[in-house]
Amino acid sequence: MDDRPQNAFLEPEVLSRLAHQFLHARVPMVGSITGLHKSPHRGSSVEFAEYRKYAPGDDIRRLDWRVFGRTDRFYIREFEADTNLRCYCILDCSASMGFGPAGKTKLDYAKRLIASLAYLTVQQGDAVGLQCYADKVLNDVPPRRNPAHLQNIFNTLEKAQPTGETALVRTLHEFAEKVKSRALVLIFSDFFCDVDGLLDAFQHLRFQKHDLAVFHLLDPQEVDFKFDRPIRFLDMEMADSLLAEPAVIRTQYLAALDEYLVRMREGCNRFNGDYRRVLTSQSYEKVLADFLVEREQLMK
Amino acid sequence: MTFLQPLILWGLPLILLPVLIHLFNRLRHRPMPWAAMQFLRSATRKSTRYAKIRQLLVLLFRVLAVLALLLALSRPLAGGWAGGMMGGAPDVVLLLLDRSASMEMKDSGSQRTKRETALSALVESAKGLEEKSRFVLIDSAVKSPQELAGTATLPELSLAAPTDTAADLPSLLQSALDWLAQNKPGSAEIWIASDLQLSNWQPESDRWPALASGLAALPQNVRVRLLALNKEAEANTSVSLREVTRQIRGAGAELELVVEVERNTITGPPVPLIFNIGGVQSQVELKLDGQSLRYRHRIPLEDKFASGFGYIELPTDANLRDNRAYFVHSPPPLLRVAIVGSDLQSTRVLQFAAAPDRKNTNQVSEVLRADSLEKTEWKNYATVIWQSKLPEGDMAKKLQDFAEAGGMLLFLPSGDAGKFGDQGWGELQNAPTDKDYPVARWEEKEGPLAKTDEGLSLPLDELVVIRRQSITGDGTPLATFADGSGLLTRRNVGKGQVLFCATLPNFDWSDLGDGGVLVPMLQRLVHAGARRFTQGAQLACGDFPARSNERWESVASVAAVSDARLHGGVFRVANQIVAVNRPVREDAWEILDAAKAKELFAGVPVQLFEEKEGAADNKQTEVWRLLLAGMLIFLVVEGILILPEPNQSAVRAGAPEGAGVLTSA
Repeated sequence: MDDRPQNAFLEPEVLSRLAHQFLHARVPMVGSITGLHKSPHRGSSVEFAEYRKYAPGDDIRRLDWRVFGRTDRFYIREFEADTNLRCYCILDCSASMGFGPAGKTKLDYAKRLIASLAYLTVQQGDAVGLQCYADKVLNDVPPRRNPAHLQNIFNTLEKAQPTGETALVRTLHEFAEKVKSRALVLIFSDFFCDVDGLLDAFQHLRFQKHDLAVFHLLDPQEVDFKFDRPIRFLDMEMADSLLAEPAVIRTQYLAALDEYLVRMREGCNRFNGDYRRVLTSQSYEKVLADFLVEREQLMK
Repeated sequence: MTFLQPLILWGLPLILLPVLIHLFNRLRHRPMPWAAMQFLRSATRKSTRYAKIRQLLVLLFRVLAVLALLLALSRPLAGGWAGGMMGGAPDVVLLLLDRSASMEMKDSGSQRTKRETALSALVESAKGLEEKSRFVLIDSAVKSPQELAGTATLPELSLAAPTDTAADLPSLLQSALDWLAQNKPGSAEIWIASDLQLSNWQPESDRWPALASGLAALPQNVRVRLLALNKEAEANTSVSLREVTRQIRGAGAELELVVEVERNTITGPPVPLIFNIGGVQSQVELKLDGQSLRYRHRIPLEDKFASGFGYIELPTDANLRDNRAYFVHSPPPLLRVAIVGSDLQSTRVLQFAAAPDRKNTNQVSEVLRADSLEKTEWKNYATVIWQSKLPEGDMAKKLQDFAEAGGMLLFLPSGDAGKFGDQGWGELQNAPTDKDYPVARWEEKEGPLAKTDEGLSLPLDELVVIRRQSITGDGTPLATFADGSGLLTRRNVGKGQVLFCATLPNFDWSDLGDGGVLVPMLQRLVHAGARRFTQGAQLACGDFPARSNERWESVASVAAVSDARLHGGVFRVANQIVAVNRPVREDAWEILDAAKAKELFAGVPVQLFEEKEGAADNKQTEVWRLLLAGMLIFLVVEGILILPEPNQSAVRAGAPEGAGVLTSA
């Protein structure tokens, strides 16, 4: 019998195809137990790290006697420490995330990604948490390794609805201040906010030594802007509207979008964030597979 | 521009269709929730003027495409001188053809004359209209409207052949106006082909305003299309005969021809002039310092009673019609001068001065008695000198008729005040003792006081006038005293002149009787008055009424078939031999400015086409293919304008490609 949790966001076939992939952190993690991820501390794993001179107080069991025999000097053998990671999924639940066809909104897409990643993370023995926010933090599920914890995350995802304005920048700063220990932070949003403030928040997260991965969710309509008739665009987050003729402003719209995307990409690169532009028309399985494979390749 | 399917032009409002669709689309906007509002706001802010202009251009090209399609369907005729004016094919086209001699001038760089060019342009322009329009030709020589079965044979018609006449454009248009008023067709167009010769158009004529208002007042829609053949002509020289006189010289006679040679260039080689009289040819070579030369040529005649004819000829040049001038000569007529005087001394002097050569029995002066005046046949006199109380009533009318017929009427003071026509006598004035009335200035270029052939001035400055009678009225002063009062004034009346001289050839009045001024002055008046006798056989082509019962037989002419009304030559009519030449005014090459010619038709739409290089420009053709091509071009341009810019494609293509790429590696 399949022990995988059943819900609307998970597809067993997809999970089975991704089961052999692991979610790796790109920076050493500080964990409480042994795991798959490198620790900044030296430990007793089988992977040799380096030699260093003996200092009083060191455990003499870690002296390399063979080296002593050859050189008459005391050297300590150090090994990499492997530990577990804590993965935080930050989900933007502002109204703009509700853009897209019914059932295929950016929020729906993000929920699928988060659910799948959460399942895979717990399966590899790491802890996963979820924070939903809009104009404030709506739900905060702390990271747990327990498989039963997954259900909490799924339930939270299920309840998440697009509403209100986005307060991503403030939320990320608060998160960076609150979570001191290193973690893998996955952000799922359309990032329709001030780019400079957002990049400051990314820098704050990186300063706290978090591994940052950004899933920039966009609907194809937002990217193509292919409309042939005048449209009154209704702001999804504010009570505002704008009558425009797409044929006339398309060039400027696309230019502004392009500039914004370039700034986002370059900003993430500058802070060593893992930036991923995702169109909701793409297969989420491929997005996840690319994400996991590329991170694994970076570890080699 | 003429349209063969003008009804389609009612669909012109359809050109607004793209604009209406655009506006309708704007009104038909749909609401749509949108997340990426920040880019929309930025785009709206940055929506440059170019984008708006581009949108307007797209609309414009759509409108132009529809317009081109509609115009193409209406089958316009354009490209020629008759194109360019909106309207359908007219019911009637009146072709007004200038057939004057000047139209035979060849254009520079062309082997065709202006008339041939005009005919070619008319034929080309008429193509495509023949199915719907009637064509009526009115030429400048005959002025008789002639409906044409077709225009293709127009160049071969005798009504379009060259003539030696001068055109009278106001009369030509009057004929057109009369025809329109009489036949009452529907819409009409008047196509005028002319070289805009100033003397033919007579822009100062008071007939123009009446013509323009007459055309504008016609109930039907009348348009004028003017083909101005005012292109610069090739080098050309013309010859005309201004005067033919014959003097008795002893047993023989002498024929004097006053020839005017004109050319349209400032400089040029000497002009060889051939004189042919009775088949005997002689040639002189004239060197022109400027553009014209008046040359006096004398030919001795052995028989003083002989009659004959001949011509003067120039070599072939750009205009073949102005290279020959015909003349006839016959024994000189009797030149009679009538003197009516109350002052005996003056009368005697005048009688002598009017006929100073007693041996010349061909010129006599007669003093008429007062009781014979009523019965006098004034028309037999060349000049009448009246030194008596000014005539009144019936006598005044007779003398007025005499002057209008070409006679010279000279009035001398009698002391009585009075008026004749626009001139008259004022008060008698005596100069103070030891003073006189000096003559300050006089007309030396022409008239009775002009310089002699040798260039010598008449001694008017030596004239001593101590008594005078002031001249009233508005005669043209030919000589004036230092105080501004007139010595001799002139008024043109019909073909003749009426002159007033303020003093008498009487020593109580002046020393005019000495003869230095009086004799040449009177001789000139006598010859001027006799011109209607001596030049009666010299006619201007087209300027004389030919009676239907007269038979004109050609004696000498350039044209194979000569019609004295149309062609120059020597003709025998009613036992008289006459020379017919083109009117002198045809040699005046001054051209009316095309824009001013257009202004003459105030109130009537006029399409002007000035002759350009190349005859192809004159062709009128259907241009629907051009318009269809234009429509396609407009659509292509519109398509290019609505194409996304290259950077747009890059953005759209870049977004999916960027997705999933790890940029932080």
